[in-house]
Amino acid sequence: MFSTAQPDVSIIGVMRTALLLTAALAAASIMIAAPADPKPVEPKKAAFSYGDQKFKTYGSPTAPLTLELYTDYECPSCRVMFLDTLPKLMEEYVKTGKAKLIHRDFPLPMHKFSRQAAKWANCAGTMGRYDLVSEQIFKTQMEWSQNGNLDGAIAKVLPPGEMQKLRALVADTKIDEGATADVAQGQRDAVNQTPTLEIVYKGKREQIGGNTPFQLLKQYLDMKLAK
Amino acid sequence: MKRALLAGRLILGIVFLYAAYTKLNAPWLVFAVSINSYQVVPLNLIEPIARTLPWFELLLGLLLLSGLWLRWVGLVCTGLLGFFFVLMVRSFAIGLQIDCGCFGPGEALGPKTLVRDGTLLALSLAVTVFAFLKPKPSPVNG
Repeated sequence: MFSTAQPDVSIIGVMRTALLLTAALAAASIMIAAPADPKPVEPKKAAFSYGDQKFKTYGSPTAPLTLELYTDYECPSCRVMFLDTLPKLMEEYVKTGKAKLIHRDFPLPMHKFSRQAAKWANCAGTMGRYDLVSEQIFKTQMEWSQNGNLDGAIAKVLPPGEMQKLRALVADTKIDEGATADVAQGQRDAVNQTPTLEIVYKGKREQIGGNTPFQLLKQYLDMKLAK
Repeated sequence: MKRALLAGRLILGIVFLYAAYTKLNAPWLVFAVSINSYQVVPLNLIEPIARTLPWFELLLGLLLLSGLWLRWVGLVCTGLLGFFFVLMVRSFAIGLQIDCGCFGPGEALGPKTLVRDGTLLALSLAVTVFAFLKPKPSPVNG
């Protein structure tokens, strides 16, 4: 009777043409969406008011760059970022007026004591001891992360009188709002790992997750500032 | 064999295009951090690699989809995927807890990513072998 067999060649030819057209369209859209120097990610939300945690903000308010560093006190990569990269950033960008730096807490749920550590640091901040205490918390991470003895770690660097005052502040749960506000901002920024650096330049935000070596960061920031 | 070859190169092409897109759509520093986390590339080479590799992936993706120079494109893809796979296996074996960096940030290197990359490598190898086995079209006599 009738043969239902169709020539394979024409079907493949049509498919091939359609696929090539799709590929060309995909390529064109990628070219448009991704120029050689990609556009930074637009801010997801309006700027967050940082309230009274000014002790976590460093540098000139008019600096062209703003660096927002999210860390978790119990995260080993954050420790490296905080102790190795941050001092260099402070020296070359913050003290020179090129950047403003904001340190934000982002305690991850998997870390048992990191929120408590953030509370100790923030309470110390209200006493003008944020730098000393936050650095000590990171330096002694291996010790207190075993048993949560932050008191013991911090008491090594604070005079007894100040330590007493700090303990009283830590007992006041309200000051924990500092970390809560940071976490809320982190969620608005879609932070999903620590450390995360938000680079804000000309109103646009870019998110860099992971421990970023200073040399790479410097290349990137210098390129931004040269624009 | 013809259809398998077509399907294989289309899948690979789309994967390469997607990989390029996710990297080009973010600041180069994001990919640079991923490269650095593997701890094999010297710091001074990271920026040029982070800025050029995604464009190379884009080119490979387009060539795979078009079917042009398939033998050589297949060889390059297999070499590139093989190199990635060796790096990933090594990093996993020595216990590095890092991002894969394959399709943008936020995907941890683990068994799932290793299986996926291994599968892509096998597919690329198969496409390359099929491309070499396939007879070249004979010239048309006028």
